[in-house]
Amino acid sequence: MTSLTDRYLAATLRTVPAPRRTELADELRASIADMIEGRTAAGQDTAVAEREVLTELGHPDRLAARYADRPLQLIGPTYYLVWSSLLRRLLTLIPALVGVVVGVLEATVGDQPHRAIGAGIAAAFQAAVQIAFWVTVIFAVLERTRTPLDLPEWNVDQLPEAPLERDVTLTDTCASIAFLLLTLAFLPWQHYRSWVSDANGDNLPILDPALWTSWLPVLAAVLVASIGLEIVKYRAGRWTWPLVAVNAALGLAFALPVGYLVLADRLLNPALADRFEWLREGDNQGLSAGLVGVVVAAITIWDIADSVVKARRHHR
Amino acid sequence: MVSDDVLRTHLQELRRGTVVVASLVALRHPDYGYALLQRLTAHGFPVDANTLYPLLRRLEEQGLLTSEWNTEESRPRKFYRTSGDGETVLGRLLDDLAAVQTSVTGLIEGVER
Repeated sequence: MTSLTDRYLAATLRTVPAPRRTELADELRASIADMIEGRTAAGQDTAVAEREVLTELGHPDRLAARYADRPLQLIGPTYYLVWSSLLRRLLTLIPALVGVVVGVLEATVGDQPHRAIGAGIAAAFQAAVQIAFWVTVIFAVLERTRTPLDLPEWNVDQLPEAPLERDVTLTDTCASIAFLLLTLAFLPWQHYRSWVSDANGDNLPILDPALWTSWLPVLAAVLVASIGLEIVKYRAGRWTWPLVAVNAALGLAFALPVGYLVLADRLLNPALADRFEWLREGDNQGLSAGLVGVVVAAITIWDIADSVVKARRHHR
Repeated sequence: MVSDDVLRTHLQELRRGTVVVASLVALRHPDYGYALLQRLTAHGFPVDANTLYPLLRRLEEQGLLTSEWNTEESRPRKFYRTSGDGETVLGRLLDDLAAVQTSVTGLIEGVER
């Protein structure tokens, strides 16, 4: 019959290094027997005493870790800060890079360009998961081998500039990124599941499908770059002149192609005009195109002017 | 009103190192784990079994304790005893404990004055 004590010893010694196991078993068994005896001498039932003693000694793995002087955490205070800053650095850059590269390849080389955004997001996510997993595994091993890292000591020169006041709030940044993601998602969505159907009841893309091999990947890339800009801007805390320049470039890189496509009547799916009579009547299409062009121009100019004003306010 | 948790944490912090001191003093007379546990508890050093037993082995590995199996009694037991090195370390620890006590006293009197 295996007693509770036997089972407890087996569970504890399982993870203790082999050379010390036998001696530790003898000692721990004697200690448990002594503790039980101490309780039975006070008039307690042996079975109850055994249960209580083993409960008092606690989880076998915890006890074993104390004997073997093993850490009970994945990554301890020695490595935690290095681990987290390394992970932050890798995760801010590499997944986005991988996503953009895969997306661009899918859009240009692949035979299904409208899959580019999905493929890019999936690749970025994969990259992020892989990075997080392997970096963590490496640091968990370092923690257990107690390898010294020999990194330079922290010194005061590494202190970041204190942001005096934050112009760019987290709410603004989140809202902007959410809007950009929705716009990005709209591109494949309007292709597969627009609210318009053709005469057969099949789905009718709103934007000209021919654009998937020309302008749409460019616009998608600009949107992704704009998300990157939002993140950099948030970390900077305010508009700086380089950020204003990049923002203006991205704004124009989006507005000019859209404006051109709208005015050249190449943005909308030609099949859409066949479906809706209203678009063919008189100069309705031309008027709508003009209106869209004006709105796009107004938004872009407003955005650029706003960034310039905010940047100037800070540099005065 | 300070919560019991906060108080308990601070008391634990304060007591942590004293278990080593108490063990090194107590083991000037050789003893086995459970008997030492009871002696320490009786002398106002309550300590958990799952803390003390691994601690004894660690102090032995560090050379501060020596051990010997005693097979004369009803069950074989491992007896620990403070070693020469252990005595040296204990001396330093006791000096430091006294220094802490002196400093605290000095600080209290300084504040009262």
